[in-house]
Amino acid sequence: MSVKDKVWLWFHRMASPAYFYKLAGQLLPWCIVATIILMLVGLVGGLVFAPADYQQGDGFRIIYVHVPAAWMSMFVYMVMAVNSAIFLIWHIKLSDIVARSSAIIGASFTFLALVTGSIWGKPMWGTWWVWDARLTSELLLLFLYLGYIGLRSAIDDRRVAGKAGSILALVGAINIPIIHYSVVWWNTLHQAPSVSKFDNPSIEINMLVPLLCMAIAFKLFYLCILLINSRSELLEQEKRSNWVKELVTSS
Amino acid sequence: MNTRNPFIAMLFRDLRIAFRQRAEIMLPVIFFVVVVSLFPLAISPDPTVLKSIGPGVIWIAALLSILLSLQSLFRSDFSDGSMEQILLSPFPGSLLMLARIVAQWCVTGLPLIIISPLLGLLLHLDAHVIWVLFISLLLGVPYLNMVGAIGVALTIGLRQAGALLSLLVLPLYVPVLIFGSNAVISASNDLPYNGQLLWLAALLVIATTLSPFVISFALRVSCSYR
Amino acid sequence: MSPKQKQRLILVSLLVVGLGVGIGLVLMALNENINLFFTPSQVVAGEVPPEQRFRIGGMVTMGSVEKLDGELTVLFKLNDSVKEVQLKYAGILPDLFREGQGIVAEGKLNEEGVFVADQVLAKHDENYMPPEVEHALKTSGGDYYDNEAIE
Repeated sequence: MSVKDKVWLWFHRMASPAYFYKLAGQLLPWCIVATIILMLVGLVGGLVFAPADYQQGDGFRIIYVHVPAAWMSMFVYMVMAVNSAIFLIWHIKLSDIVARSSAIIGASFTFLALVTGSIWGKPMWGTWWVWDARLTSELLLLFLYLGYIGLRSAIDDRRVAGKAGSILALVGAINIPIIHYSVVWWNTLHQAPSVSKFDNPSIEINMLVPLLCMAIAFKLFYLCILLINSRSELLEQEKRSNWVKELVTSS
Repeated sequence: MNTRNPFIAMLFRDLRIAFRQRAEIMLPVIFFVVVVSLFPLAISPDPTVLKSIGPGVIWIAALLSILLSLQSLFRSDFSDGSMEQILLSPFPGSLLMLARIVAQWCVTGLPLIIISPLLGLLLHLDAHVIWVLFISLLLGVPYLNMVGAIGVALTIGLRQAGALLSLLVLPLYVPVLIFGSNAVISASNDLPYNGQLLWLAALLVIATTLSPFVISFALRVSCSYR
Repeated sequence: MSPKQKQRLILVSLLVVGLGVGIGLVLMALNENINLFFTPSQVVAGEVPPEQRFRIGGMVTMGSVEKLDGELTVLFKLNDSVKEVQLKYAGILPDLFREGQGIVAEGKLNEEGVFVADQVLAKHDENYMPPEVEHALKTSGGDYYDNEAIE
């Protein structure tokens, strides 16, 4: 069997609800445990062991929530757009479920990034809100998420909602770079990304490790929610199929 | 009139229908003028203040009045079932939708652009600034129609379509709003504005190329719902 | 070629032409300078049109900050390690404002060539490091607020 065939086989297996349901059930406990451990390590490392910043003092510690949340907000939209494209092209239901549950999680992370950014802004810039490039594009991203959620919930038919939502997610994905560019163009206030270059990070190593822990913990948390959501969604959608009946009678 | 080309035929049909309902054509323009004239009342009649807020005010008013006019875009086709016929025709649906949007722009966008210099005068903008305002609207407003039509195609037939449409479409309008109003502000500060106008032109060309396909696909999805 | 294929060919070529023109315009737009942002060197060189509000960004020169008694007005100099510009600001400075710190100010030049700011924003430092490290850097002579370069 060639590599391409193997990939396709894997793809088809993943697309099979029964198989995915089982796999997700096995994966979930590990994910939850890993999330909790990493989040504890990240929080303790960040709040207790990491030294205070030379300028911002202890106030900077909010980056352990703010930065991972901001990363997540973009990452989740990307996952959503990719799954929307997969759904439109191959009609794989699972992708639609992933896109749908991503929207709500993504919107929450975006909101979290906005709130923590605003709290951080108060001591650092002297004001709760600055019309700064990143905060503004984060706000617009939140609007995009809310539009997606609004559109999906306004359409009763699940399949149509999936397609319409996918189109919107893709249109949004094309527009995000343009929106971001146009907004960034406004100003310069927020700090430039600190962890862009891994060979020579401009952030102290014992500040960086907890940050990365938190970033991975947030991603795993997202994965947990996705697994839980897609499991329950699958059960509901497939309630008349044989594998669900077997599942219920055997338990 | 060459009725053998479906694109032209569609364009003229829509224009003829629109001109038979003149009141409906006038509404977006009147809305545009009224909104702009409210700002001096709410903020200040001081010419320096009006000069500085003018570009933004005119751009936002244009954006809102386009948004308002969007909702009738595909409504009658959708309710009387001719939308399905259009999409089933052998001629590419995307081009027919482009014709529809061009017609819509002629009756809502164009009047608004033509009247904008007058509003520029009301807000004490200088002559060369008004010229830049005119060009920026000429490049930016068709984009608003084009991208707005995607939102309409997605929300058509839904219950709270109006509010939802603005939530879907307004974030997508942000780049044009930024570049458009900023071109005018730069012009009034004697700064170069070519970059902003080039951005508007680029966005317009890309939107004109891509959105007809998205719109016809979205309409197919929306029509399959009924 | 069947009519259907011909139609498809026309559509695809329209798409390609449209995207090509669009991308070309984007590239042209990216070449234009569309910022209202100037450095002290550009200001000294007279690149800013007169009577123009703009933004200036740079480091606050060490030892240049003086507060006028009984008022909120602050005088300080801003440099980009080549040239420097005198600034005047009446208002409350942000927490992160200090000598050697990067800031962005908005306002315009007066007749004497002094930049009268109506807004001062502190720019975060891109380097996050603990106080000890910063201290070590400073005592080792690796002062990165390079003031010698200013004439």
